[in-house]
Amino acid sequence: MELELGLALPNNHLMKGFDLNDGSTTNSYRKRGFEEAFEKVIPFSSPLPRKTTLPLFVHKNGGDGDDENDGPQLKNPDELNSISGSRALVGWPPVKHPRRRSAGGGAGERWSEDCGSNSYAGGGGRRAKCVKVKMEGVAIGRKVDLCLHDSYEELFHTLNQMFPTMQHGVAYAHPHHRHFTVTYEDGEGDWLLVGDVPWEAFIQSVKRLKILS
Amino acid sequence: MAIKKQKELDIEEKSPENRILSFPDEVLERVLVFVKTHKDRSAVSLVCRDWYNAERWSRTHVFIGNCYSVSPEMVARRFPNIRSVTLKGKPRFSDFNLVPPNWGSDIHPWLVVFASAYPFLEELRLKRMTVTDESLDFLARSFPEFKALSLVSCDGFSTDGLASITTYCRNLTELDIQESGIEDLGGSWLNFPESFTSLEALNFANLHSEVNFDALERLVARCKSLKVLKVNKHVMLEQLRRLLVRAPQLTELGTGPFSQDHKLRSHIDLESAFSNCKNLNTLSGLWEVSSMYLPALFPACTNLTFLNLSYTALQSAELAKLLQKCPLLRRLWVLDTVEDKGLEAVASSCHLLQELRVFPADPFEQEVIMEGGGNGVTESGFVAVSEGCPNLHYVLYFCHQMTNAAVATVVRNCPNFTHFRLCIMDMRRPDYLTNEPMDEAFGAVVKTCSKLRRLAVSGLLTDRAFEYIGTYAKNLETLSVAFAGSSDRGMQCVLEGCPKLRKLEIRDCPFGNAALLSGLERYESMRSLWMSACNLTMNGCQLLARKMPRLNVEVIKEDESDDMHAEKVYVYRSVAGPRRDAPPFVLTL
Repeated sequence: MELELGLALPNNHLMKGFDLNDGSTTNSYRKRGFEEAFEKVIPFSSPLPRKTTLPLFVHKNGGDGDDENDGPQLKNPDELNSISGSRALVGWPPVKHPRRRSAGGGAGERWSEDCGSNSYAGGGGRRAKCVKVKMEGVAIGRKVDLCLHDSYEELFHTLNQMFPTMQHGVAYAHPHHRHFTVTYEDGEGDWLLVGDVPWEAFIQSVKRLKILS
Repeated sequence: MAIKKQKELDIEEKSPENRILSFPDEVLERVLVFVKTHKDRSAVSLVCRDWYNAERWSRTHVFIGNCYSVSPEMVARRFPNIRSVTLKGKPRFSDFNLVPPNWGSDIHPWLVVFASAYPFLEELRLKRMTVTDESLDFLARSFPEFKALSLVSCDGFSTDGLASITTYCRNLTELDIQESGIEDLGGSWLNFPESFTSLEALNFANLHSEVNFDALERLVARCKSLKVLKVNKHVMLEQLRRLLVRAPQLTELGTGPFSQDHKLRSHIDLESAFSNCKNLNTLSGLWEVSSMYLPALFPACTNLTFLNLSYTALQSAELAKLLQKCPLLRRLWVLDTVEDKGLEAVASSCHLLQELRVFPADPFEQEVIMEGGGNGVTESGFVAVSEGCPNLHYVLYFCHQMTNAAVATVVRNCPNFTHFRLCIMDMRRPDYLTNEPMDEAFGAVVKTCSKLRRLAVSGLLTDRAFEYIGTYAKNLETLSVAFAGSSDRGMQCVLEGCPKLRKLEIRDCPFGNAALLSGLERYESMRSLWMSACNLTMNGCQLLARKMPRLNVEVIKEDESDDMHAEKVYVYRSVAGPRRDAPPFVLTL
């Protein structure tokens, strides 16, 4: 099941005939919430269409979602994915202690319970740095909490467990030869090879991971 | 202990008008002991000088809603006989990371003053204060009669600080660290001496590390007055069973994970432990519930009035089964994993329900999309609950979609709301059916619910919503606004129209200096105003500060980029003057 990420037209809610709500997915208007954050506040009755550029506006700290529109234009759905995954807006929704879904019916890995946005909680919890991990050819992405790892070895171990095919790949190829390449996107948007910089520096700058075959 | 003033009353010399006031202080003080709430006590103190004095000598509990509104020395001077203190620190939006770390509200200066003024202090209840291990150690050693420590959403301390409390507080009855950001150094902080038996309440649910279970079990066994026990995620089912067997008298229980524990021999043992707990009225915890074990709870649910499932990813069917066992439920907190169907179960089982809170399981949309959609709750769940639970007066509802019509229906069914907090998580989302703003929804709320004291608004809102609030919400005390409004007029309507407003917190709204200054007359009768990411400038804030010298107007400046813009503004009344402990990023104007 590939994740459907549609870039809804930004002025959708002004066009009454246009129905994005086919009832079956909620992804489209969930993402719109973040889209709306990046647009200037236009009075509801304005006849002008909203701007169609959606700047990549990723806050780390401090920024409160001011509608500053000077950023590069979004290029593809993956970048939209990255906004929603990487805390575009401080303190919204106003949830004190993210109460995560625990191992319900689906994926029951322990890491998915701890991985979340604990760092949001003003008063609570330990720090967590969760980054998305996508493997080429695998439909569903995962998330890994880097704070639970102290070294690249531990990270690779976890990745091996998350993506069993990766393990097979390693087994069938030379045991010491990693058949898969793990890359990461850093703070500047560049894709680099995992393992090149010291672990501490890596943790600071990594935004998400991608496993290539 | 305390030296009482002896006032000689010469009745003949007093005029007839004063005679009614001139019965001895001791009598008045005896009577005033029965006046408990701080609002009533404040009213008493304003009657006349005699009553002011009698009140201040007889007051034993002081509530300070903003720790910077008054200084500890002033409190000690006015109230000589305090045994219990409640203090609140940071603005509420600090819960959502809007206040930088090291902002302030350190308890230590208070403790230093209390150590000399109130050596017999018994209770300290803190919310959003910074508490260090040094302070906890100082507390433990300075107050020999100390009984109750409650730290809600506090930060700055570690398990080492807790160890000081458990080691030195011989008369401790309550230790509650809920939702506090504690640095978990592990270790065995739970080291009450073996002779210690006075504990009545223990809450360490949010602690991440394991406590020494043997120590805990022995503690529970010897503290026969223990009524409240909330353990953390490390206490598994078999351990929980053993604790319950030792403490069947519990009234409030917070469990650990309610799932697979190979040490648990049989469900029947667990069920029988629960069936012995006939006095339970509050149940929480329940991380990772497995439906296999859930029925073990059922015998203990008959008298439950408060069920907190906000850490439990329950499905609607499981919730329905559980709720059928809780006929007396008054307060229910759930995750939106129960969906509308779960709320329909609430409507059919919980006719006495007064409070409902529905939290989002995945607010930041970080979860991998699971099977079955996971859409949370919608307007139909909200309407369903209102139809089945006419006594509902407190709601906190997180959702992605809402309609004006649904909210109007909800308040028609339940006109007695005192607390209405609706959070449509998608910013500026209109009514998803009509594409209209959500103005009429909140209009309906304030028109219908005349007893409304607390309101949180969301969705696409124009100034009209605020006109409604200003016109109708005459009992409103707390208002939270985010991403709403069209112009200054919105905020002005509220400030002009809501006479009982005490706390106003605003973020990301198009309100500027004109709006801020329109409230000049109001802020001294309010506890505080918070405005962040609005259109305020330093000039506007400085003007406010100049005109109202008894207000503290503080601007939090985190980066140097825009000198004119006032990004985060916190205004509050104070008799203590400007803060002396402000960090460099807090500018007092």
